[in-house]
Amino acid sequence: MKVTIKLIGPFRIGRFKEEVREYPSALSVRDLIEEFRIPVNLLGIVLINGIHARVDDQLNDGDTVILLPFIDGG
Amino acid sequence: MKILTSNPVSDPASVMYRRCTVDLKSGKMRLEDVPCRNLEDVLGGFGRSFQVLAERKISHAYCDENPLIVNTGLLTGSSAMTGMRTYFSGYSPLKESKKGLPAAIWSTGSGNFGAKFKWTGLDELIFENRSEKPVYVLIRETPDGPKVELKPAEQLLGLSTHEKMMLLQKEYNGAHFATIGPAGEQWENVYMGAVALSTDNQLKSGEDKMRFAGRGGMGSLMGYKNILALVAQSSDKIKPLTPEVQKVNINVVKGGGSGRLQPISRGGGGGTWAAYDVLQVFHAVPVNNFRPQGNDLPEKLFRENVEKEYLIKSQACYRCGITCHNNIHEKLEDGTSGAFLAKFDYEPLNLLGTNIGIHDAGQAARLIHLCDNYGMDSISLGVTISYLLSYNERHPENPLLNGAHFGDFEKITELVKQAGLGNLPDIGRGSKRLSENCGETSYAYHVKGLELPAYQPETNPGYAWAIAGGHMSMGTYGLLTREGKSDIDSWVEGITRTKLQIVGFDMIGLCKFFDITKGICTQMVVDCLRSEFNIDVTIEDLAASVRRAFLLGLALEFRQGYEKSEFTLPAEVREHPNLNIKLPNITSPEFISELQKKVWEIFDPELEGLLSKYEQPTVAREP
Ligand code: SF4
Repeated sequence: MKVTIKLIGPFRIGRFKEEVREYPSALSVRDLIEEFRIPVNLLGIVLINGIHARVDDQLNDGDTVILLPFIDGG
Repeated sequence: MKILTSNPVSDPASVMYRRCTVDLKSGKMRLEDVPCRNLEDVLGGFGRSFQVLAERKISHAYCDENPLIVNTGLLTGSSAMTGMRTYFSGYSPLKESKKGLPAAIWSTGSGNFGAKFKWTGLDELIFENRSEKPVYVLIRETPDGPKVELKPAEQLLGLSTHEKMMLLQKEYNGAHFATIGPAGEQWENVYMGAVALSTDNQLKSGEDKMRFAGRGGMGSLMGYKNILALVAQSSDKIKPLTPEVQKVNINVVKGGGSGRLQPISRGGGGGTWAAYDVLQVFHAVPVNNFRPQGNDLPEKLFRENVEKEYLIKSQACYRCGITCHNNIHEKLEDGTSGAFLAKFDYEPLNLLGTNIGIHDAGQAARLIHLCDNYGMDSISLGVTISYLLSYNERHPENPLLNGAHFGDFEKITELVKQAGLGNLPDIGRGSKRLSENCGETSYAYHVKGLELPAYQPETNPGYAWAIAGGHMSMGTYGLLTREGKSDIDSWVEGITRTKLQIVGFDMIGLCKFFDITKGICTQMVVDCLRSEFNIDVTIEDLAASVRRAFLLGLALEFRQGYEKSEFTLPAEVREHPNLNIKLPNITSPEFISELQKKVWEIFDPELEGLLSKYEQPTVAREP
């Protein structure tokens, strides 16, 4: 199945902005976080198709996942 | 502080703080050890100062009876990481109810002044009345305890916040400084004056890298009192790190809580600036007076774009491992660092950048730099200017002031300069007054008279209950964006219980970045208090104390004439919903009215009778 992955802010450093990847079988957001070594302490928001989601949520063919860092104060 | 008990909750009177009350009119001073009334007094900051303010009924901020209270928190100057905070409290010249009464306010900043102040042996300084002539206040450590002196300050008049510090530094070795700029000196026409706090980095490098206590015009109140600067001179007195505090500090830096504020080079998120990238995903970065357009304009001030042309230095307050400052320097041809330009925290960058149509980093840096040196609150200044620009866009045939429009750097620069010099009261007195004078209040982005920070109100109806400015006294700004909560119950819970706890940091002397998601009611804080002071306070004690302090703030708003109808967002949010913002709508009239009902159902019974014990006749105190 095909999944579009978008990374935001510092997550792009040494990785990518956006990629479409092909996966042979079902996977969760957590699998992506591990695959791309996203630092968990910086991870603030997960969106699947624009909706807030959890790291254990499963992905479906054609989904777009966005991984965003925390926001904090000013 | 004199701490003669291990249980400050049941025996607060055995904890005494050292207070100096200064009558600026007569020059008389009184130094005393004041027994604490409750845990709020013990913790300090606004938890203590608001109890002093509650004892006075003030109808005009610029009056003799309105005190300026300078204090610290229990952990200011301790070995706990981020323990650097100073608090300035009083009745605000800027924030006022529709009845025209000033609201009680505090503002706070880091830098090294707070720790130095604490190390002189003083915990609180209350300024009564006003000095006839400009003075600066020297607070110094002596073998007989802290000594406070008033010194003539004509030589400081007209100097910028930074210049005042540089001049005083020549005379006072080992000291740190809190200064106002020309804006605070022009208090009659500038209600948004800030207090600048010196940093070690600044005093060593000579670069103007101050921190600010900006909100609510405490710099203007200081200017009204004719105090141009505070000097705290003492030796450094950090206790050796105990294993317990060391463990906490390591946890603060490495445990994840502050990781996102740390430098990118250390694997962190790069400070508050990263909010740009996050909010842009939802098209929720304020653009042109809080009207995001659903386009990529905000990306021009993304860090990745700014660092192509400028050098970004990650720096910190003394001893702080979080290192949250992003200082922008010119990048020389060989790639090395040139002149310091400005600090890029999220709020000033957005509100003096994207939200006024400025998308060039160099121009935004120039405006932030001017604002800091004139000594104004960048949030209030930016939002008042964005209101003006919006007005001019709506009235091209009859614009206000110099006719500036969004993105017009030259004219906006002129507005900042003239406001800072006190020549533009329309700007200097804030967006509430300007919009009322113009007769168009719906797109003035303030709540209860204090300008909103750079989080769209569509994402945060909790602003209505913030007691000292939008995001730092009501931590609901990430409830929708970060946590995805759009149901009433989560918002009621956030506003009335979990997210109001953010104000605890403004009692205890720590930066919010110590642990912004969990607040001060944690084992980490309990451990620090036990190790530093040998006192036993539970997480529940801390939570109850923070709640009482918050509720007192809310009760004071009602006493100063606020009505429930004023606990509301700018009308434009409701009248013209912004469909570009890609988040669930939680500001519909139905949602807001249900939220109001449920929040007040919880707060109302707790507010009843809260102020009765503080009610006393109002007089300016004679030391
Ligand atoms: S977190 Fe930032 S502002 Fe707070 S003490 Fe550390 S460096 Fe200073």
